[in-house]
Amino acid sequence: MPPEIELFGVMMPSLLPVFLLSFALMVVLDLAIGRAGLYRRLWHPSLFRFALFVCLFGAAGLLLIR
Amino acid sequence: MSATTTAKLPRWPWLRAFLAEESRAWLFVAKSLLAMYVAAWLAMWLKLEQPSTTMITVAVVMHPHSGMVLAKSFYRALGTLAGSLFGLALIALFPQQRELFFLVLSAWLALCAGGATLYRNFMAYGFVLAGYTAAIVTLPTVGNPLNSFDSAVMRVSEVLLGILVAAVFSDLLLPQRLRVVLRQSARTQFARFIDFVRESTGGALPRARMEQAHLEFVRAAVHLEDLRASVIFEDPEVRMRSARMRLLNQRYMAAATSFQSLHHLINRLQRRGRDAVAQALIGAYRPIGEALSLPLAEQHDPALLTRHLRVCAERLPAHVATFRARFDEPAARLEFDTGAALVQRFADELADFTAVEASLRAGNLRGSVERVHFRRGNDLAGAAVATLRTFLTMLVLAAFWLASGWAFGGSAMLLATIFAGLLAASPNPIAAATRTFYGYAGGMAAGFVAVFVLLPGSEGFAMLVCATAGLLLIGPYLATRDALPGVGAGYTLGFVYILALKNPMVYDPTHFLNDAIAQVAGLGLSGAAFMVMPGVTGTQWQRRRQLRLLREQVTLAASAPLPGLMWRFESVSRDLLQQVVAHTRPDSEESHHLLAWSLAVQESGRAVIELRQELSGTDLPATAREASRAALEAVADLYRAPTPPRWQVADAAVLAAIHAVPRGATARSHLYQLRSALRDEESPLGAYMPLPEAAHAA
Repeated sequence: MPPEIELFGVMMPSLLPVFLLSFALMVVLDLAIGRAGLYRRLWHPSLFRFALFVCLFGAAGLLLIR
Repeated sequence: MSATTTAKLPRWPWLRAFLAEESRAWLFVAKSLLAMYVAAWLAMWLKLEQPSTTMITVAVVMHPHSGMVLAKSFYRALGTLAGSLFGLALIALFPQQRELFFLVLSAWLALCAGGATLYRNFMAYGFVLAGYTAAIVTLPTVGNPLNSFDSAVMRVSEVLLGILVAAVFSDLLLPQRLRVVLRQSARTQFARFIDFVRESTGGALPRARMEQAHLEFVRAAVHLEDLRASVIFEDPEVRMRSARMRLLNQRYMAAATSFQSLHHLINRLQRRGRDAVAQALIGAYRPIGEALSLPLAEQHDPALLTRHLRVCAERLPAHVATFRARFDEPAARLEFDTGAALVQRFADELADFTAVEASLRAGNLRGSVERVHFRRGNDLAGAAVATLRTFLTMLVLAAFWLASGWAFGGSAMLLATIFAGLLAASPNPIAAATRTFYGYAGGMAAGFVAVFVLLPGSEGFAMLVCATAGLLLIGPYLATRDALPGVGAGYTLGFVYILALKNPMVYDPTHFLNDAIAQVAGLGLSGAAFMVMPGVTGTQWQRRRQLRLLREQVTLAASAPLPGLMWRFESVSRDLLQQVVAHTRPDSEESHHLLAWSLAVQESGRAVIELRQELSGTDLPATAREASRAALEAVADLYRAPTPPRWQVADAAVLAAIHAVPRGATARSHLYQLRSALRDEESPLGAYMPLPEAAHAA
C-alpha cells in the first residue's frame, strides 16, 4: 500500500484505514479474550489490551505500508 | 505525621479518612495534569494547529473513574465525527450566504441540545458534542470557506488525540475502577432489599415506610443502570455480564412491585377489619421470611438464598392450602386467593432474582439469558422547548455578531454554544452557569498571570510545564471537591482556553484581553439565556407532565402489545419517578403525592398486565372476556384522566367483571386486586371515591 491514498478527491494517510481495521480486529479479539476469561489471569488487563492494540496496529502498519 | 503511624492510632479515624480521600484526589490531579501535558506535547510534535484544543479535550473528558472516561470518550468521538461532517456539509452548502448559514447552524445546535435532554447518560454528551463540534469547525473559518476542510481535519485530529491520551492515561495508570463502585452498589442494594423483605415479613408495613423504601429502591435501580452503561466500556468481562445485569435489575424491580402489592393488600384488609384474612396472609407469607433468615455470615449469600427460596416456593402451595381451608365465605376466599397468588408470585420472583445474582457472583456465564432492556421514560415536549431555547439563543447571538461586526463575536458564540449545550441537562442550569462562570473567570485571571508573567521567561517544553502546572492543578483539584460542582471544570477550561498554547507561543495582550472579554460575554449570555427562557427540566410544568406520563403507564399497560411489556412497564415507570423526584424537595407535600401515585401506578399497572396475560393464555367464557376487557378499558381511562365519574365507571366495570369471571379462575384475583387498589383510601385514587362510599369504607 502507498503511504497516502485518495478518498473522494482527498489525500489521506493510509495509516488511517489501517488504524480502523486494527481497531475492528481488536474489538473482535477483545470479545474473544473476555469470553475465554483470560483477562482474569492478567496482572494489568488494560495494559495488556493497550499493548495488544499497539502490536496489532504496529505490525499491520509496518507490513502493509511500503 | 505519616499514614503508617495514624494506622496504629485508632484515635484519629478522621485523619485516615481525610488522607485516603486526599490521596485519591491528588492521584486524579496528577493523572489529569500528566495527560494534559503529554497531549499538548504530542499535539505540538504532530504540528497540529491548536494544541489547546487537545488539552481542553483531555480536561473535559478526565474523570476519577476510568469507566467514565472511556464512556465519555466513546460518545465524544462519535459526536465529534458527526459534528465535523455536518459542519463541512454546512460550509459546502452555504459558503456565501451567511444568514442562511447561521440559521441552519442554529437549527443543528438546537436539535442536538434537544436530543441531549432525551438521554441521561453520556449519550447526551455525544449529542452536545455533535452540536458544538460543528460550531468549532465552521465558526473560525466562516470568513474563509476554502480553509474549512483543513480546519475540520485539524479539529478532529486534535480532539481525537486528546481522547486517546485521556483514555490511555486514565485506564493504564493506577486506574480507579468504576467496576468496583458498581459491584459495591449492586451488593449493597441486594443486601438492603433482602434485609427489608426479611424485616417486614412480621406483618403490617405502614404506607409512609413503604414510600421511603420504594423511593430508595427506585433510585438504586436507576443508579445501577446508569453505572452499568458506563462500566461496559471499562471492562470486556462486564460487557459479557451486561445482559445478566440488566436481567438482574428487571427481576429486582418485578419482585419489588409484587412485594409492595402484597403489602398494600394486607394493609387494606386490616383497615377494613378483615383481620382474619390479613393474619392468614401474613402466616402464608412467613416461610419466605424464614427462608431468608440465615446465620449472619451467610445472610446475603445469593446461592444459598436461592436454594432456600426455591424449596420454599415449591412448598408454598401446600402451606397456603392449610390457611385457605379456614375460609368458607366466597368473599373471604377471593381476598385470600388474591393475596396467596401474590405471595407465590413474590416467592418465585425473589428466587429468580437471587438466582441471577448468584450466577453473576459465581462468574458462571454459560448459556444465554433473556434479553431485556431498561427503557427510559421521555417527555418529547421538554426536548422541544430545549430545542427552541437553544435555537433562539444562537440566532440572537449570530444576529448580534452580524449586525455589530464584532471581531471576536466568533469566540463569544463558540463559548455560548459549548455551555448552552453542556449545562442544559443540569438540574439547575442557572446556578450551574453562575458557578461555571466564576470558575471560568478565575481560570482566565490565572491564565493572564501565566501568559504574561511566568511564560515569557521560559524556554522549551519543560519550562512551560513548570510555569503553568502550579496554576493548572487548581482546576482538577477543585473538580474533586463535591462542594463546588462546576467551578473546577470552569477553571480548567478557562485557563487552558485562554492560555491558547501555540508553537511558537504568541504574546499579544490586546488579543488576549479582547478574546477574554468575548469568552466571558459568551458564557454570560448562555447563562442569561437560561434566565430568559428557563430550562424545562425540573419546572412545575414538566413535573406535571411527567406525573401524567407516569399515570399513563397504566393506560399503556392496558393497551400496548404484551411481549416484553412487563419489563418495559417496570423500567419506564421507575425512570419517570426518578426524574420527577430529582426535582422535588424530599419530604415535601409534592414528593409524598408523587410517591403515592407511583405506588398506585406500580400496583395497578402490574395487575393489569397480569390480567391481560391471563386473558390471552387461558380459556374463559366469552362473557367473562368481554367484561374483563371493559374493566381494563375503564381502569385505563381512569388513570389517563382521573375524575370521580370515571372512578365510578371503573369501579362498576371491575365489579361486573369479577361477577362475570367464574369462581376459581386466576383472572378473578387480578380483578379483585384492581378493585381493592381502586378502593384504597390511602392511595391518591381514594380522593376520587364518592363521599358516602369513602365514609363507608373507612
